[in-house]
Amino acid sequence: MSTIRVDAKVVMLGKESVGKTSLVERYVHHRFLVGPYQNTIGAAFVAKPIQLGEKVVTLGIWDTAGSERYEAMSRIYYRGARAAIVCYDLTDSSSFQRARFWVKELQNCEEVIEQVLYVLYHILKWETLKVGFFLSSVNNGPRLHTILFVALQQCKIYLCGTKNDLITADRSLRQIDYHDAQDFAEEIGAQYFETSSKTGNNVDELFHKVAEDYNNAAFQFMSEESGVDLGQKKDSYFYSCCHNN
Amino acid sequence: MSQRRGIHVDQSDLLCKKGCGYYGNTAWHGLCSKCWREEYQQVRQKQIQDDWALAEKLQREEEAAYASTQGTQSQSQAAASQTHPAPPSLGPFSKFEEKKTNEKTRKVTTVKKFFSSSSSRTPKKETQEGRTISPSINRHTSLEMDQVSKDFTEFLKNLHKPGREILKQCRVFIMNVSSKKELKADELSECVQDFYQNMADRLTGHFKGSSESVEQVMDQVEKYIMSRMYKVAFCPETTDDERKDLAIQKRIRELHWVTIQMLCVPIEEEIPEVSDKVVNAITDIIEMDSKKVPQDKLGCIKRCCKHIFSAIRSTKNEPASADDFLPALIYIVLKANPPRLQSNIQYITRFCNPSRLMTGEEAYYFTNLCCAVAFIEKLDAQSLNLSPEEFERYMSGQASPRFHSAEGEQHRAEAGATNPVLEQLNHNLEQLTGLIARQERLVEAAQSMQADLLSWPECVQREVDNILEEYPLEILPRTVAAIDAHDVDSDRLPHPLTPQVCAQ
Repeated sequence: MSTIRVDAKVVMLGKESVGKTSLVERYVHHRFLVGPYQNTIGAAFVAKPIQLGEKVVTLGIWDTAGSERYEAMSRIYYRGARAAIVCYDLTDSSSFQRARFWVKELQNCEEVIEQVLYVLYHILKWETLKVGFFLSSVNNGPRLHTILFVALQQCKIYLCGTKNDLITADRSLRQIDYHDAQDFAEEIGAQYFETSSKTGNNVDELFHKVAEDYNNAAFQFMSEESGVDLGQKKDSYFYSCCHNN
Repeated sequence: MSQRRGIHVDQSDLLCKKGCGYYGNTAWHGLCSKCWREEYQQVRQKQIQDDWALAEKLQREEEAAYASTQGTQSQSQAAASQTHPAPPSLGPFSKFEEKKTNEKTRKVTTVKKFFSSSSSRTPKKETQEGRTISPSINRHTSLEMDQVSKDFTEFLKNLHKPGREILKQCRVFIMNVSSKKELKADELSECVQDFYQNMADRLTGHFKGSSESVEQVMDQVEKYIMSRMYKVAFCPETTDDERKDLAIQKRIRELHWVTIQMLCVPIEEEIPEVSDKVVNAITDIIEMDSKKVPQDKLGCIKRCCKHIFSAIRSTKNEPASADDFLPALIYIVLKANPPRLQSNIQYITRFCNPSRLMTGEEAYYFTNLCCAVAFIEKLDAQSLNLSPEEFERYMSGQASPRFHSAEGEQHRAEAGATNPVLEQLNHNLEQLTGLIARQERLVEAAQSMQADLLSWPECVQREVDNILEEYPLEILPRTVAAIDAHDVDSDRLPHPLTPQVCAQ
C-alpha cells in the first residue's frame, strides 16, 4: 500500500473558524486561502516529513471538527496523539475559553494512565510483562501495548493564538492579552505561539518545535526502554527460537 | 460556516453513571474505568489471580526451559511441576492454589503461554500440540484461502530463512487459536495483538530497525492470519456485536429523513459530478463489509473518504477541512447504512495492526468513521438544530422535513413532486419504462433483421435465377478460320495493282 509512514500524530484542536485548517495549509503548502488547490483534495489529514539534522520525522497532522456538536466525540481524536496544537483566535475571547476546555480534556485523559504507569515502572520497578498483565486484568478493555503506547508517549500541548496579522494591523482587536496566554501556557506546561497563516509568521517555527520535541522525547523513550531490559529479552527470544526448530 | 450553531451533546451523558466525575464508557456499561473496576471487583479478582498465577508460572517455566535447552535440549515439564510462591499483595489465595493444580487441564494456558512475549522457548512443543488438536484446519481452506497462503509463501520466499520462521509462527498461531473455541473476543484480540507485537519486535531486530521492511512483512502477516481467522474473529457469538449492528441499522433507518442542510454538509448533490462521487463513496463504505482483512477494510474506508473529499472540493472549490468532512461522512453513513457497521468497526479495532490504527492516514479516516457512528448514536434534536417536538415527529414518521409547514396544505398533493426520494423513484420508473420500450424496439429490430437475413439468400437466389433466365448461356459452335482460308471479304477488295510497263 502506498501510505506514508507516520511517526507522530499531531491533532489540531480549537473552535471552528479559528483557522486550524489555514494553519496547516500555510505550513504544508505555503499558501493562504487562495489556490492553487488542484493537487490537494482535502486538508483534513496531512503527512509532512520534517528534516531534523540527519533525521526525518514525519508528522501526521489531524484536523478535527471544531463545532460543539462534535465535542463529545473529541476524545476519540486525540487518543494516541503525541502532540496537540490547541488553537484559538486572538481576536475572539470565546475561542480562548474553548481552548481552555480542550486543554482540560487533554490533561484529564493523560493523567490517570500516566500516574499508574509511573508508579508501576519507577516505584514498584515492575517488568513490562508484569505491567501488561496488570493492566489487562484491570479493565480487560484496552490492550496492553495500546495503553503503553498511549501512556509512554506523552501528548504535548502547544497553545497557538492565530490571526496575528489582524492584531498587528489594529492593536485594539486583541482580545486575549499576550501575558495572560503566556501565563496560561506556563501553568499547563505548554509552549505558546502566536501565528499568522496569512503572513506565515511563526507557523514553521511552531511545527518545527513539535517535530523537535517529538524527536527528543522519542530518544528519551528509547533509552528508557533499554532501562527496563526489553531489548535484551527480545534477543534471547529470537535466538532460542531459531535453535529450537 | 457561521450558520452552524452551537449544539451540545449533553456532557452528563458521557460521565460515569456513578457520578464520580470521570467519563464513562459504553464498553463498561456507562461507568468509568475506576467504577467499572470496583463494580466488577469480585468477578475480576479471579481473573487477576489467574493472570498472576500465569505470569509467575510462565516466568518459572521459561527459566526452566531455558536451562534445559542450554543443557540437554529435552523439553522437560519440570517447570510445570514446580511449586509456585503466591504472588505478593493480592487477595485470598486458597482458591489460587487449587486453580494451579487444574492449570494443566485449562486450555487457555497453552495459548497464553505461547503469546506471552517472553515464553518463546516453547514453539516446538506448541507445534506438535497444535497439530494434534486441530488437524482439520487445513481441510477447510477454500480456494481464496489457498490463494492467500500462496501469496504469503511467495512473499516470504524472498526472506529466506526468517521467512520460513515467520510462516511457521503464523501457522502455529492460527492452529492454536482455532483449537480454542471458547476464547472470548477480547481475549482473542489480545492474543492476536500480542502476536503482532512479538512479530514486529523480532522483525525489528532482524531488519535492524528498518521500519519499512518490518511494516511490509507485518502487512503480509496480518493479511494471512486474518483471512484465515476471519470466521472465528468476525462478529463472534460471545460478543453483542450483532445486537449492536442491528441497533445502529435500525437507528439509521429511523433517521432516514435527515437532510444535508440539517447536518450543514457542504455538498450539492444537484451537481452530477458531485452526486456521482457521493454514490461512489456509498458504494465503498458498503463494500467494506465484504473484505476479510482489516487493512482491506481500512482501504475501503479510505477510498470512501477520498470520494467525500473530492465531492466537497467539487462543491466548494477549495480543499475540505475537518469541519466539512465530518458532517459529510456522517451524511454518507446515514445514506449508506453499511451492513454490520459495528461488527466491522470492532473487528478492525481488535485485529488491525496497531501501528496502522494509531497514526497514519487510514487511522484518521477510521477515527472519523468511529466519530460519525458515535454521533449518529447520540444524535438528538439539538444536534440537528431542531425543536424536540419536530424531532419526535420526524422520528415517528408523522412528518417529513422536506415539505415544511410553510407550504401548508398543498404539500400533500405535491408530495410526489417535492419529495426527492419519490421524485427519484418516478424518475427511475420513467427510465425503466423507457428502457423497456427501447428493448422492445431492439428485439423487433433484431427479429426483422433475422427475417431479412433468412430471406436474403432466397432473394439472391431468385435474382440469380432471373438473370440466368434472361440471359441464358448459349454455347455457339466455334469456327476456327485458317489464315489462308478463302476469305469472303477479300473478294471485295480492289485488285492488286498490276505492274505496267511505261513507254519511254
